[in-house]
Amino acid sequence: MQIPRNKPGAALCTAILASFLWIASVIAPLIAQQPSQKQKEILTPEQRGERVFANNCARCHRPPMTIPPQATGTIIMHMRVRARLSRQEEQDLLRYLAP
Amino acid sequence: MKTKTLFVCCVLLSVLRGDAQDSDTTGTHAGYVPVASGSLGYVYSVDGGIPTIEPQINPVLLIPFGSHVLFESRTEFTGFFERRKGSSGDYTGKVYKTVDYVQLDWLANTHVIPVAGRYLLPFGLYAERLDPLWIANLQDIPIDFSIGTRTSGAGVGPQLRGVAVETPIFNVQYSAYYSVHNNVTQLQSSRTAGGDASAYFKDLHVEIGSSYQRFLDKRQVNNAAVYLAWQPLHTPLDIKAEFDHSYTGKGYWIEGCSMLSSVPVATNFFRRMQLVGRDEQFFPLNGGGNGLPTVGVRRGEGGLNYYIGDDWRLISSYGRQFNSGHNFNLWDLGFTYRFVWPIGREKK
Repeated sequence: MQIPRNKPGAALCTAILASFLWIASVIAPLIAQQPSQKQKEILTPEQRGERVFANNCARCHRPPMTIPPQATGTIIMHMRVRARLSRQEEQDLLRYLAP
Repeated sequence: MKTKTLFVCCVLLSVLRGDAQDSDTTGTHAGYVPVASGSLGYVYSVDGGIPTIEPQINPVLLIPFGSHVLFESRTEFTGFFERRKGSSGDYTGKVYKTVDYVQLDWLANTHVIPVAGRYLLPFGLYAERLDPLWIANLQDIPIDFSIGTRTSGAGVGPQLRGVAVETPIFNVQYSAYYSVHNNVTQLQSSRTAGGDASAYFKDLHVEIGSSYQRFLDKRQVNNAAVYLAWQPLHTPLDIKAEFDHSYTGKGYWIEGCSMLSSVPVATNFFRRMQLVGRDEQFFPLNGGGNGLPTVGVRRGEGGLNYYIGDDWRLISSYGRQFNSGHNFNLWDLGFTYRFVWPIGREKK
């Protein structure tokens, strides 16, 4: 059976993608240029790691996490892929979870 | 053609050149040893008066090669046992084995992480993030879960993922993949292509994202999702919502959960208790099917979970499903356990 192309679905998808590209290309740089309170803060790596944990990990995992230190690097590599963390966030988490 | 290929190679090299140096773990005790992780659980369910027992074990194997290459896999062993005569008689059933993912990741830099192998399809909030037994707040998957995850929930082929934009205020993350059709036992997949992008606003604790997939097997259809996750500041509340659209149906779910840490009495007891609620609705299109209901469905669920420690959790939930002409209750009761076991010692 040949299913007709679902043009309404395609239009919806195009609209979603277009809106994301618009956010990424127009809104995001504008927001990034605004000097924020956060940019003025000077945090230690451990404090940054704690913030990364609260912002990212704690959305699915309950703090505190009991991870053996020798496994921390491996676990955070796994979570960097899964949660699409940046390299800086990975480094800060390492200092927070295995200081 | 050669110019195009050269251009693509130059772009890829310029992106990958980044920080492919060794991980800077100076001053930390972080180790990179192989890890056996995962969870086990036991759930007793009564759906529409039919009791079932579902013991599960989901081992995850992580093998790092240095600090930039990781092999990872997850397998699910799920038993499904029900009474011979529906609601009476002894329990009988079998154990199902599923390889969720077997993939090799190259953590090249912040912006690009090439992935190869069998991977979970990055579609919406649920499949990649909330599905694991020890993470899901409610054990029943959303009604529209199969939108974007057909046919096996996994793809086989290449995937790129990473952080497209990183600022102190927000991150923009992405995934893009192409999956081939594969009939190998335990590694089945369909031919699909798609991607996911989300923006996370750090100060607001808000994530807004969308996923798109083109299903390229015999029936070529588009699947799309938009989702929102919000953890309000200063409130132990977690709200997640998703809307999915496909050729055979569309639906939404919204889930909220809260740790009862603000209860003024018996603080030590209540701060470990989690209250969960989810509302969802599905509307079939073009007759439904393909893993989706063929009739309109509405479901409401509420649950109470108790964290004994970081790893042990007691789970319970009650739901009511409203189908066209057939309504029934859903009960779940059980526990989950998460484990992390390092294998071997790190070479100094």
